[in-house]
Amino acid sequence: MSRRQIRFLTLVRREVSRFLKIKRQTVGAPLLETFLYISVFGAALGSRINTLHGFKYVVFVIPGLIMMAWAINAFSNNASSILQQKFQRSIDDQLSSPASPTELLFAFSLGGFLRGMVVSLLTFIAASFLVDLPVDHVLVLIPALFLVGFFFAQLGVLIGVRAEQFDDVAVAQTFVLQPLIFLGGVFYSASLLPQPFQTLTHFNPVYYMINLVRYGFLGYTEANVALSLGLLTAAVLALYAVNHRLFATGYKLRA
Amino acid sequence: MALQITDLVKRYPTGTEALRGVSLSIAEGEFFGLLGPNGAGKSTLIHCTTGLAQPTSGSIRVFGHDAIDHYEQARLGVGLAPQDLNLDWFLTVEETLDYHGGYFGMPRKDRRERTGELLEAFSLTDKKDERTRTLSGGMKRRLILARALMHRPPLLILDEPTAGVDVELRLELWHYVQRINQEGTTILLTTHYLEEAEQLCDKIAFINGGEIVATGTSGELAARFGVASLEDAYLELVGRKELSRGLIPDEVAS
Repeated sequence: MSRRQIRFLTLVRREVSRFLKIKRQTVGAPLLETFLYISVFGAALGSRINTLHGFKYVVFVIPGLIMMAWAINAFSNNASSILQQKFQRSIDDQLSSPASPTELLFAFSLGGFLRGMVVSLLTFIAASFLVDLPVDHVLVLIPALFLVGFFFAQLGVLIGVRAEQFDDVAVAQTFVLQPLIFLGGVFYSASLLPQPFQTLTHFNPVYYMINLVRYGFLGYTEANVALSLGLLTAAVLALYAVNHRLFATGYKLRA
Repeated sequence: MALQITDLVKRYPTGTEALRGVSLSIAEGEFFGLLGPNGAGKSTLIHCTTGLAQPTSGSIRVFGHDAIDHYEQARLGVGLAPQDLNLDWFLTVEETLDYHGGYFGMPRKDRRERTGELLEAFSLTDKKDERTRTLSGGMKRRLILARALMHRPPLLILDEPTAGVDVELRLELWHYVQRINQEGTTILLTTHYLEEAEQLCDKIAFINGGEIVATGTSGELAARFGVASLEDAYLELVGRKELSRGLIPDEVAS
């Protein structure tokens, strides 16, 4: 293994070991939260709703919950990890190492990406035992989930680098991220909304992400799949470019 | 040269000029002291050398490698023990060393051996599985120094390594750094303890207001300022010669 590979794997290992050391909080709590959603919206409320576009309500909701778990965990992991390390200045150990800005950015991104993946995968496995969850278009589902995970991992890095206090992360998560995710159609079909809310939903990027993931699982979508994948890829690349610039210039990381 | 700094300027976005054209040469194997009051630019100079701050202009070469354009090679040659106890709370003592070695590309077997060696050398073997936040201040200071040495850097930078440590640990650290210096490691030390600089350093530079004011041995600096000791030279530098111990009345001194 080359010096560079050892370095990169160690940077990633640090991020993964961080969330595994506090797995009750970083993996257990999000899993419980997802199951509470499934219980409340699927079992309790869902029993009052016949079907949605031909699917049992709980089946309609689960793809969005899997996506939401990946998104929120990827975001919050990276934002918190970077901010904590900035506070303790322990990040200086990585910053003064020979690691390049690209290596640092990828390693910090992968921490949250992998945490989101673990939570989503566990949610998927458990949900598969509870309900009959189809996987109709695996070749759309996997790239869609990976792109969503990477997008929110990048967003977490961006907020973590910019943040100066924990409040900054909480504000981004509570006032921006969660409303976008909840109003993107995790729990409902946007086509059922009255105007102007239906049109407004189309301006929410999360709407397209949920539709992609739902299409991957159920084969049902309200948005054009190819266009959504294209836009999501463009958004991921744009966000990556912004973050790369921040790491290359040392913005709020190096004095 | 182990470290060659030429016309280094660091201006912060606020407009503060922390370094105003600093030039400095540290020969291989030298024990070099950098003295100056708080805010003189010592830490900024160290941060520019280790990549924690970005110089506005000027050049820094570590064993001939440009610290900006060829930072990978340059940083491999430097070990930094910072002033702050900036340990990662999520890691144990052993992991702190292991991860640091990994960041510098050391293979696992080498990391394991080196970690064992340093834990032993700094009397941290019993604490190896403890999280860093549970350590005492002295233990943290030892670990910071061990971490800086983990990748066997030929240039060791010690930024106020003995601030707030007890007498035994201070002397222990002195012995250790003197030994590794004799074994060939170049050392750049910043300290507020003039006695420490006098005891350890071959050469000393005074930095004030972002500029190197004088460089030489302890004796040369005293002679340059026309005083009897390094401490008096330092007081001349900061414009506080009225504080000289020579001016304390005998009855108070006794």
